[in-house]
Amino acid sequence: MSVNEKEIEEKVKKIIAEKYGVDPSELKPETRFIEDLGADSLSTIELVAELEDAFQIEIPDEDAEKNQTVGQAVEYIIKRLKEK
Amino acid sequence: MKICIYEDEKTVDFFPITMTRATFEIRSGKTLLLEKILDFLGNPKDVCLYVRDYLVPVVKLRYPNYKVNELNALRGDDVLFVNGRWLYMGEKLDVGKDEVLFNEENNIVMFKLGKENVERIVTGNFLENLKNIVNDLGKDTVKTTVYNWPWEPVLINKEVLEFDFKRLGKRGIYGKVYGDIEIVGEKEDLYIAPGAKVYPNVVIDTSEGPVMIDEGAKVYPFVFIEGPSSIGKKTYIMTGAKVREAFTAGPVCRVGGEVEESIMHGYSNKYHDGFLGHAYVGEWVNLGALTTNSDLKNDYSEVEVYINGRRVKTGSLKVGSLIGDHTKTSIGTLFNTGTVVGVMCNVLSTDLSPKYIPSFTWYYAGRFSIGSGLRRMLRTAERAMARRDKVLTDAERELFKYLYEMTREERETYIKRYSKK
Repeated sequence: MSVNEKEIEEKVKKIIAEKYGVDPSELKPETRFIEDLGADSLSTIELVAELEDAFQIEIPDEDAEKNQTVGQAVEYIIKRLKEK
Repeated sequence: MKICIYEDEKTVDFFPITMTRATFEIRSGKTLLLEKILDFLGNPKDVCLYVRDYLVPVVKLRYPNYKVNELNALRGDDVLFVNGRWLYMGEKLDVGKDEVLFNEENNIVMFKLGKENVERIVTGNFLENLKNIVNDLGKDTVKTTVYNWPWEPVLINKEVLEFDFKRLGKRGIYGKVYGDIEIVGEKEDLYIAPGAKVYPNVVIDTSEGPVMIDEGAKVYPFVFIEGPSSIGKKTYIMTGAKVREAFTAGPVCRVGGEVEESIMHGYSNKYHDGFLGHAYVGEWVNLGALTTNSDLKNDYSEVEVYINGRRVKTGSLKVGSLIGDHTKTSIGTLFNTGTVVGVMCNVLSTDLSPKYIPSFTWYYAGRFSIGSGLRRMLRTAERAMARRDKVLTDAERELFKYLYEMTREERETYIKRYSKK
């Protein structure tokens, strides 16, 4: 599947920004979900579900747990879309 | 003569309760409407059920001995069609060939077609054909109840429980009663089924109506049960519970705290303290500790309820929550008066809830979300059902997928609207 990585990055950041009430421009690759954005277990589950819905992929719980930063989440989504 | 029990176009007015069940599967009194209709009909073996297309697979699984939406099978004979919203309360009704019975609110109760007219209704769209054919039939009006809204079974649950007790004709103590229980009222108005257990220091009050405790049910110590009430098979009433009048629990429920004039379908839990009044609760619902619903407004005004996208005046000062199947609430959830909660919701509302919570949403911290998504919601349903040795069937899974898409637009609207607040 051809993947426009820049578009995906923007879309992922938009979803994360809306979830945590920040501006997408504030999100850096190293931004951490828990420490920097205040993610808790509920908002994390919601975020994963929203990303699944937006990109029509299934994200196993064990994969979700490994993605601790915005950059990791963007890379993961791109990788999964390339595999489709 | 053949029999067809059908749903009509009013099914949507009972959402979310009828999202997952046919209108004749509404619980009223001790049993479903269907059981009472079949009783009226003399419990025939050959019955055709007519439901919405998306419900056909699950209804077939629930009633393997009946035909479901096989209208062709009705050809070649006279057919009695009975509205699935009809509440049979012992009326002696008779309907002639090619005649329709209405109730005083102009709802069809039943109609009988000669085999020539049966051809007209089974070909093409059943509900469209029904509208046309009814105009050609002889008409009569009878005094009987056909439900219009989901809170109505709750409001007359007292009368229906009393009717069911007489209709079923079971009375007496056959289960195990440990130590002293106090019966206030007539002992003849109590039925404790074989295999039920009632622990010491339980008070059962039959002075205002009968109390029915089914097979395998357990009533733990220090419980007060006021009649009329019905405790379903293998349902447990937890220590200290106050079961006030006109309460129905279906099979395999867990009931604690204070409940009053409410109906719970099977496999639902309200294990801990908290008040549930004038509520209608679907299957596989779990109400967390201290979950409480308001059923009366502080200004004693008429309760309004959001149904099918509009606000409906109930005509009643007391209406509690209407809760769809597989919905869960957190500890301390507080439901506003007349709140409607869809199917498979997760509500974490320690302040007063909104009056309408769309299906498959999470509500917490004053906003809605898609929560964990359908896939994980179905996994949670599987886990909950496994705890009671039940399996989420493929037909149920497909039904929830269908309902998820059916309710998507409404859900997304609410999520957007509340995110701006």
